Amino acid sequence: MNRCLWMAALLLLGPPLLAGEAGVIVRDAPVYAAADSAARQVGKIGAGTRVNIFSRQGGWEEIFAEQQNLVGWVRSYQVRGGEYAPGIEADAETDSRGFLSGLAAFSRKASRFFSTSSQSSNSGTATIGVRGLSEEEINSAKPDLAELRKMQGYASNPQRMARFQLEGQLSANQVKHLKIVNKAGDKKSRDK
Amino acid sequence: MKRVFVKLLIRCGILGLIVTVPAQAIDLGDLVDLGNKLVKINSEVSVEEEIGIGGNLVSGLLGAAPLVDDDRLQRYVNDVGYWVASRSARPDLPWTFGVIDSQGINAFAAPGGYVVITLGLYNLLENEAQLAGVLAHEISHVVRKHHLEALNKVLKREFWTGLAVAASDESDNRRTLETLVNSGVQLYAKGLDRDYEFEADLRGVVLAARAGYDPYALLDVLTTIDSINPDSAELTVLINTHPPTEERLSRLAEGMDGRLDYYASGQSNPKRFLEVAGTP
Repeated sequence: MNRCLWMAALLLLGPPLLAGEAGVIVRDAPVYAAADSAARQVGKIGAGTRVNIFSRQGGWEEIFAEQQNLVGWVRSYQVRGGEYAPGIEADAETDSRGFLSGLAAFSRKASRFFSTSSQSSNSGTATIGVRGLSEEEINSAKPDLAELRKMQGYASNPQRMARFQLEGQLSANQVKHLKIVNKAGDKKSRDK
Repeated sequence: MKRVFVKLLIRCGILGLIVTVPAQAIDLGDLVDLGNKLVKINSEVSVEEEIGIGGNLVSGLLGAAPLVDDDRLQRYVNDVGYWVASRSARPDLPWTFGVIDSQGINAFAAPGGYVVITLGLYNLLENEAQLAGVLAHEISHVVRKHHLEALNKVLKREFWTGLAVAASDESDNRRTLETLVNSGVQLYAKGLDRDYEFEADLRGVVLAARAGYDPYALLDVLTTIDSINPDSAELTVLINTHPPTEERLSRLAEGMDGRLDYYASGQSNPKRFLEVAGTP
């Protein structure tokens, strides 16, 4: 009920006053009514769709897609946070190297989102990556041994590997390591 | 990446694990003992010790950014990584992979077979071969013990400086040593990484080819990264700790010199990748 009121309020207020962080969907994604893949699916959302991100919970983000009038939860890896630049759409076009997924094309286009100078006329700021793993975050981090054990729990094993190799039609090739090319006097600056 | 490890080393008390800085005042004997332990790093460190060091590093990283809460995704990344690692010179390490919930674009490796990739980087990937390429680069760091080697070099140098200080200045040796150790890790953060990164790139593409993937996929990932504005916050750590992406690409192309072209028809399995990535 609250959600309905909230959504109605959002629609009334219109995009300029929408709360939440702007974001872009990076993969076609099902949208759920709750932060749970067992929850009711309320719709689907395509890669490149601009959304507002309201909240985060575990590996989920609650989004609002204005175009489709859709509110719901998607997996956090399906949405990229940050301001988007109007007029730049991610789509499934073929990029110059012939890849069809469109994600590379999208990421190249997305690079323009990161520009702080050229796209600032409308959105005000074009910063992205506030959720990046910063030095501060690492500074304040405490070792999480429970999470380490969880990670170890996902590890594969020879039986799983055999199945994975077979299903992926992956051949085990014999390839020698290449010689490392050492450029003499290679002192190119790294600080740019 | 190294800068990250500096903080992690300090936070996780890895230094304690490696050099065992005593709580009481340090005399020359302690320093000699420390020196012996440093010499041990890398040359004689047991696989168990290596895994212990790596586990501590990774748990610190996970404290900063937890795993993405998606069993299927985590299992899939482990499937790809385990298979690629099985084609390396150290297939028997307890290879463990994870995707962490960070929008920063990066991947990290720690001694003993730990590899994590950020969600930010994962989201840039298009297919399984690209994921394999990134993991193969990190696996190569582990196989070549790059982190242990870097620690070893820097701490050894600090040890000799520390020894000189201890011999001449008897007051407050402990603090001196702690300062030295700190600066030592900072050196570890800065130095040595260029050649290690180039080496991991070149070994990574070979590993990918060995595992039946298109080795050029790693170059595709680097091309994508290169197209992102280097000033973006998501790239800060990666740019600070790696050679310029453009240079990595040219060094890779030079090193490969068409010799892996035969394997370019390897798998990239975009369907399987998108199945996991696109629909939870």
